[in-house]
Amino acid sequence: MARAITYDSHLYGWGRVKEFINARFINILAAFLFLLLAFFLIYPIIAVLIKSFQGPEGFTLSYYKNFFTHAYFFQSLYNTLLLGLINTVLCLIIGFCFAYMTTRGPMALRKPLKLIAMVPLIAPPYLFALSLIILFGRRGLITNAFNVGWEIYGFDGVVIAQTLAFIPLAFLMLENTIKSLNPNLEESAYDMGATEGRIIRTITIPLLTPGLLKAALLVFVMTIAEFGNAAVLGGRTPFLAPDTYTMITGEADFHMGSVLSIMLIIPCIIIFFVHSYLISGKKFTTIEGKPIASEPRKMSLLIKLPFIAVTFISGFVILVCFAVVMVAAFVNIIGVRNEFILSHMLDFRHNMAIYNSIKVSFIAALIGGGIGTLLAYVIVRGKFFGRTFIEMVALSGFALPGTVIGVGYLLAFSAPPFKLTGGILILALNCVFRFLAVGVEAGIAKLHQINIEIEEASSDMGASFIATFSRIVLPIMFPAFVAGFIYTFMTTMVSLSAVVFLVSPGYELAAVSIFNAAVYGKIGLASATTLKMIVIVILCMITLSLLSKFTKLDIEHKGGAA
Amino acid sequence: MMMDANQKPMLIIKDIRKAFGANEVLKGISIDVKKGELVTFVGPSGCGKTTLLRIIGGFTEHDSGEIILEGQSIGHLPPNLRDTRICFQNYALFPHLTVAENLSYGLKIQKWEKAKIKERVDELLKLVQLEGMGGRMIDKLSGGQQQRVAFARALSVSPKVLLLDEPLSNLDANLRLLMRDEIRRLQTELHITTVFVTHDQFEAMAISDRIVVLSDGIIQQVGSPVGIYDHPVNEFIANFVGYVNFLEATIDTIDTETGCSTVSTEYGKLKITIEQDDIKAGDGVVLVIRPETISISLSNETTKQNVLRGTLTRYMYTGSLAKCSVSLGDRGIIIDLYNPRDRVNFIKGDRVDVTIPRNVHVLKKKVASKQGE
Repeated sequence: MARAITYDSHLYGWGRVKEFINARFINILAAFLFLLLAFFLIYPIIAVLIKSFQGPEGFTLSYYKNFFTHAYFFQSLYNTLLLGLINTVLCLIIGFCFAYMTTRGPMALRKPLKLIAMVPLIAPPYLFALSLIILFGRRGLITNAFNVGWEIYGFDGVVIAQTLAFIPLAFLMLENTIKSLNPNLEESAYDMGATEGRIIRTITIPLLTPGLLKAALLVFVMTIAEFGNAAVLGGRTPFLAPDTYTMITGEADFHMGSVLSIMLIIPCIIIFFVHSYLISGKKFTTIEGKPIASEPRKMSLLIKLPFIAVTFISGFVILVCFAVVMVAAFVNIIGVRNEFILSHMLDFRHNMAIYNSIKVSFIAALIGGGIGTLLAYVIVRGKFFGRTFIEMVALSGFALPGTVIGVGYLLAFSAPPFKLTGGILILALNCVFRFLAVGVEAGIAKLHQINIEIEEASSDMGASFIATFSRIVLPIMFPAFVAGFIYTFMTTMVSLSAVVFLVSPGYELAAVSIFNAAVYGKIGLASATTLKMIVIVILCMITLSLLSKFTKLDIEHKGGAA
Repeated sequence: MMMDANQKPMLIIKDIRKAFGANEVLKGISIDVKKGELVTFVGPSGCGKTTLLRIIGGFTEHDSGEIILEGQSIGHLPPNLRDTRICFQNYALFPHLTVAENLSYGLKIQKWEKAKIKERVDELLKLVQLEGMGGRMIDKLSGGQQQRVAFARALSVSPKVLLLDEPLSNLDANLRLLMRDEIRRLQTELHITTVFVTHDQFEAMAISDRIVVLSDGIIQQVGSPVGIYDHPVNEFIANFVGYVNFLEATIDTIDTETGCSTVSTEYGKLKITIEQDDIKAGDGVVLVIRPETISISLSNETTKQNVLRGTLTRYMYTGSLAKCSVSLGDRGIIIDLYNPRDRVNFIKGDRVDVTIPRNVHVLKKKVASKQGE
């Protein structure tokens, strides 16, 4: 591909420039992309870091001292980590039950259970906060009907909402690992006399450990970074993400806000590195024969019952949560004044917000899809130093809590020379770089499918590098671009945690409107807008699945936006 | 059909049927397997052979029929309660366990004492010539070694029936021959009843006591390797177990006592011996002629018995044999000439005499046309 260019002496001016670009195209592109990543992903984080150490008289540790000496902050950190831990365990258990049933369970149950486990994907994660308020809030349907004294606002409520929201993430990852597990291994154990419980204990779980660990890390990062549920349902229980928000928007204390952000980002970064290490780590290799679809096991009742109980109960809860939000969208005040109205659905400000969200998401998707595709190309085909570093930075976006990015953008881009706040571009850009990973991964996957010899054949026939790139590479990578586009669109649509810092009055986004409505108890309005979001996301998913059907591109879902 | 009168079958498979949705994979399979016998199911891919093996092992539920092991019906039992052990095509060795742990997995389930387990594992390792490798992880073994471990693991708790699902298909050609003989040697030595599945007809011929040819979910023929090769019941099998020339003919005369008959082909009359009782004069038949049974010589234009005359259109020397094609007018026949160095040097275009052996196998036309669609 990198063909030697002989510099003919008769070439001057534009000819020389063109030749130089052709010869160095991939490096120029890489440098440009790296600058973008540095500016929009690394710089904001560094801005947060600097702010957290920057006192009136220069460098200071006083804000960190403040953090560790106040019980409140410490409680906030503790709650966040504990929430992450409990959520991860619950999501893994539920996700495993679903994944085991959909891959090893009775045929008739496989499809419906899979569908239910994926349902939360189509909604913003804070849908569950809404539905829990509708069910268990102070005027909640169940609270009133059974007169329960249980308070949904607080730690328990957040745990429940978060668990429900992140079941699909755990399920998808675990289903993937179980699917890659050769069913003959379990059958061999069965053949040698092992009972089903023993097979799960001695074969299935040990072989799934790497996959379980990876899923656990991802769920942990996602849940501690999730802002909406904790902010809406947290009540007086402190959590880092919403506390950062209060600190910045309520008390305008950017220093403490930055410290809280740093505290939130540290576990995420640690986990990101552990995760990358695990992915690069060795997998168990076995001789592969013909792929065999796993036949349903004759599960004994003792094994079957817990699986069925867990999946049915959580599936039921998920469906109920969706149902109540859908009903609430069309009811004046659900549980109090149960009359059918359309005013929630027709609310002008919220519909404007939806329109704005679509606009912002579209811009983000366009930029994100493009940058993702180019990055993938540079990462796969480039031969320069620092290639893996670029890949790492590009993929790190998903591990960065949106709250931190929001604070970072606020600090980095609110004053000249880089004044971007107040505009629509900043709302799009933060999402572009946070959700880059999927587009990049789809691009990398697509590039690995096509042989480099196709490109070599093109240049062999005399095409310049730029001609090869635009006529061969781009058309081939188009499906990856579309995948990145749609994914960025979907996630930007529902993303709340970063943009909540960046919206300006008069330019509301749907996610922020839902959040504000929910905080102020306007449940009907919040539900109506959530419902519209769900419809938009479903349309995106249909497009995505049609696309992957036609292009045979495996498009991986990375789960909801934090 | 080859059953010893005084020996009761060890494993009886009775009218097994299985459909996946509308797709009928097995349409009534019945076969008896004697103790210590190695029976091979062979057939093209998709013929249902692996499904049948999985049904015997208990991994796939059959729709109807019976499986009887030593007089007891086991068709309803899950795999862990059957005295059968399967060895999967991909070996399915537990990658997170060592060789020794793989071998002792079944023993631990049967609650063997520690010392006895160690003794048995060492014995198994010795059996498959992997002494001292007990501590290795599976991915540190070569393909052939993995194959041995898989085989040893299947033997670990001394099952009554061993089920082998294409155990050699992941090995390269040389190793495949070596392991094939090794498996056969151990199987005979241990006198263990074995059901073997393969798509490779030569492997089936080399390893089996009896071969069951499966196609389209039904048993086409059961017989010894020699029986299947020399006396295929239809054109499908004749073709499946090796290259074959088919020649259509009509019976002119037949001596029902000796089977001596004369037949007319398009290319001349032949004298052959027919073993079947149900063929009479006037019947249309298909002669099944193996390439290596035909002899060939330069034509000297004299009339000889059982000779068809043609032109040599191809002579391909491959070392141990020369492949010749002879055109008999509108069709060609293939001849394998062994030890070609000792023979005349044939040249393309030579007029040659092709001698058809007297003991050629004959298929009745009606049967053939029904099977050979």
